[in-house]
Order: sequence, then structure tokens, then C-alpha cells
Amino acid sequence: MSAPAGTPCLEVRGISKTFRDGGQTVRALEDVSFAAWPGEFITIIGPSGSGKSTLFNVITGLAEPDAGEIVLACDVARDRAGRVGYMPQRDLLLPWRTVLNNVILGPELDGRSRREARRRARELLPLFGLDGFADAFPDALSGGMRQRAALLRTFLTDREVLLLDEPFGALDALTRRELQRWLLGVWERFRKTILFITHDVEEAVYLADRVLVFSARPGRIVKELRVDLPRPRQTISLLSEDLRRLEAELMIALEAASGGAR
Amino acid sequence: MGQANARPRRASARLLTDVARAVILTAVAVVVLAFFASGVLQLAIEVRAQENLALDTIFPSVSAVRGAWEAHRDRLLEEHIPETLWETLAGLAMATVLGVTIAALMDFSRVLRWLLYPLLVVSQTIPIFAIAILLILIFGFGSGPKITVVVLFCFFPVALNTFSGLQSADPELLSLLRAMGASARQVWTKARLPAAMPSFFAGLRIAATYSVVGAIFGEYITAQRGLGVFLKRSYSSFRLDQAYLAILLTAALSLLLVLLVNLVERLALRWYYTSRRASWRGPGIY
Repeated sequence: MSAPAGTPCLEVRGISKTFRDGGQTVRALEDVSFAAWPGEFITIIGPSGSGKSTLFNVITGLAEPDAGEIVLACDVARDRAGRVGYMPQRDLLLPWRTVLNNVILGPELDGRSRREARRRARELLPLFGLDGFADAFPDALSGGMRQRAALLRTFLTDREVLLLDEPFGALDALTRRELQRWLLGVWERFRKTILFITHDVEEAVYLADRVLVFSARPGRIVKELRVDLPRPRQTISLLSEDLRRLEAELMIALEAASGGAR
Repeated sequence: MGQANARPRRASARLLTDVARAVILTAVAVVVLAFFASGVLQLAIEVRAQENLALDTIFPSVSAVRGAWEAHRDRLLEEHIPETLWETLAGLAMATVLGVTIAALMDFSRVLRWLLYPLLVVSQTIPIFAIAILLILIFGFGSGPKITVVVLFCFFPVALNTFSGLQSADPELLSLLRAMGASARQVWTKARLPAAMPSFFAGLRIAATYSVVGAIFGEYITAQRGLGVFLKRSYSSFRLDQAYLAILLTAALSLLLVLLVNLVERLALRWYYTSRRASWRGPGIY
């Protein structure tokens, strides 16, 4: 499925972005270009401060690039707000809303029927491991459950492209592994195009069709790694030789990208 | 973090504990006061025996205060208390609307913030006593000017707290909503306003305690009905038993109002009180 075919649903064309931070000019992104095809899972990895989150801000329309353009569904998207699903690093669930009312935020902002959205959300709660928690407030949930609720909220926006910014970054190793497997299952069911930022080499390889390696500031794509492991991968051995080989290759690229600073 | 079972029951249980605590604290206060009062009474008897002073009028006995209540109960219940209560509630309601409006305006525009904030602070530096007399001179003896005095007392805490609540909304959350395509209005109604509610209620609670005092104060200057007038007449006829009665009733009215605000808050902000924030064992219902 990772073979590029047809038209990409997201194209990033020559994006550069500079911003000022406390009187200093920070070059966050430099001439970043890539395309994402329908149903593709792309992970983005790079040293801290390599502009990955800035790229997401540009794609979601929270920031305007200094140069370049974003093409969504074959058309240059000037007004991009709300056209892709976005999940930031923190789950940012609304503490005053129950889980059910949190996850229907997307349809609600679109002005779609809330009753219909609630019905669909209730159907999906078990798949997202939130069965029986529809009426609980977010503060009562564990970290893993909060992330799954935030993911359900992102999926329910019904956008073709989903941007996930280190969704499992703050979780412990076991929960993280469990959620990675689960996310693959959910992705295979919904067939969304996913851009996934991570700091974790294993995670990047395990999830992706393609891995984009960003350099240290200013962020550029220095390597594109195609992961041709068979899917579904939920049962793949962590000791699989192919997996280890790709991880090693990615690690070498990453070390080169951060300029041997480690 | 715990599981989410049986949380509503815990919330109601907490409310019960608060009520229980309120009862206990009140009981302790009564005992301490009674102890103090009996000491004063002893002293009064002692002094009167020696100097034959009519201290009984300055420290009226409990039965004297009860006598005052018996004598004036009908007029108090039918005229004075309803009048004061009406002025208090109308003033508090108007202060809430005004305070929230000011907070919203200051939140909407930087220019309005610059214009309104100094005005807001200056409005609190002017002695309300002077303004109250002025108002009553201009608008006469009805309840209108008293309501205005209550508003002057109460809008400030509501405005200031609501404003800081609106400003406290998580900027990342606002970004998320914008990225999801929310309009400015949606960002306001779905994130900023709900985020400001705990602060709003904190302000409202302060306003509630001020409001009764504001009404009494307005009435004290001049009025035909109300606890403030009752208090004033009691003082001018040197009936301190009646004055103590008026003071007790004022305190009771204030306390009831604060309890009411707390109750509404508990019901409206169930999320706030079932969250981990509530694990802070504060002074509870007060």
C-alpha cells in the first residue's frame, strides 16, 4: 500500500520558516518538501528543535511559512485551519467535558449533528479502550486512556490527513508499545493518512511506511527511509532482523543529522 | 490516578461532609460566643452593682434580643427582610451581569483593557459612602439607589476574577481549537468561558458576602424599609437589643447567600470538584 499511486493527499512544497525568539532569529525549517499518499503512514524523526512541530503548525495553518506552499487534496490551501486532523503532544482534553463530549469536539466545531456524533463516538469507545468511561471526566483517566481519548477526538474529526505530534512521548515503555500496536490496528481499519512525529527510533520504524529524518536546526529532510516490512505488523517480533537492520540504518542517519553532537 | 468508579457519590458525600463541617463550626462558634457573653454578663452585673450603670442596654441579654425578635417579627418578616433581600439579590444579579460584561470586553480588546482597567481600579478608590449619599440625593428614597450601591460594592470582584479566569485559558488548547477550524466565537464559548468559571465563582462568592452589607449600608443612609433602616432606628432610639437582632439577621442573610453560591457552584462545576484539584482539603463550604 505504500507504493505511491494516484495523487498525493498532502503536498509540502519548499516550506521555509523563520521566527524570532527573544530577539534571536531562529531558522526552524529550510526548504522542506515531501508528499503523502492516501493511506500512508509517515513518521518524522529528528533531533530536538529540528522544526518538526513547526512543520505541523504550518500544515494546520497555525503559522504561515516564509516560503513554499501546502497543497491539500490537489489545491493550494491558503485557509488551512480545520482541514487536517491534529493531535498535539499534550492531550489537551477539556477538563470540564466528559470523555464523550470531548471526543465529539471536531464534528461540533464543524456544526454537524451532536447526537449523530455521540452515537458514532459511543460505537468507537470500546475500540479505543474507553468502554464505560463515556461520562467520566478526563481527570479520572490514566495517561494512556487520555491519549486514546485524544486520538479518538482526532479520528472523529473525519479528516483525511491526521497529524500526530509525539502522541506516546510521555508514556511508559509498556503502555507505549501497547498503544503502538493498537494504533496500527485502528489505522488499518480507518485507512487515514498519518504523519507521526516521534523521538523514538524503534517507534519510527515499527509504525511507518516511510520515515523522514530531519536535521538539526534549520530543519531539512536529510534522509527518507522506506520501511518495507510486511503488514500487519502487530505480531512482528521485536528481534526481527529486518526491523533491527532498519533501526540501525535510521540511527546512523539520525546521528549524522544531529551533526555528531551527542 | 484512580479509576472513575462511583465519582458522583463521592461528590455528594463531600457536599455532606461540608454541611457537617459547617454545622460543627457554627456550634463551636455559638459555644465560644456563649462563654464570652456569660463572662461579659458577669462583668456587667458586677459593674452595675458597684456603679449602678445601665450596662444592660449596651450588652443586652439573649432574652432581650429574643424579645426584640418577638416584638418586631411580623414587620421584619413582611417588610424589612424582603426589602433587603430584594435589593441584595437584584444588586448582586446586576453586578454579575455588569462584571462579566466588563471582563468580556477587557478580554476581547486590548484597547478596552487599557481604557477599562484604570477605571475599574479608580472606581474602588472612591468612597462608596460618598457616592451612596449622592445617589440617594439624586434618585430619591426608593430601592433603586440601594440596588446601585450593592452593584458598586459587588461588580469589582466579579469583573476582576472573571477577567483573570478568561486570561488563564491554556494557550495550547486555544491553538488546538484554532487548528481544528474553530471560529473566534467558538474558541470563546467552548474554551475560554468554561475555563473562567472557577475564577468567576470565586469572585461571585466575594460579591455575595459584600452584597448584603451593601444593601444595609444603602438603607442606613435613608430608606423607608429594610434591615438598614431597622438598624438605624434601633440605634437612634438606643434600643441595642434591636440593633443586635439586626446584626444577627444581616450575618445570617450573608451566610445563606454564600451557601447558595457554593451550592450553585458545586452543581455547575461538577468537573472541577470531581477532579484531582478537589483533593485539596480546603476550608470547604465557607
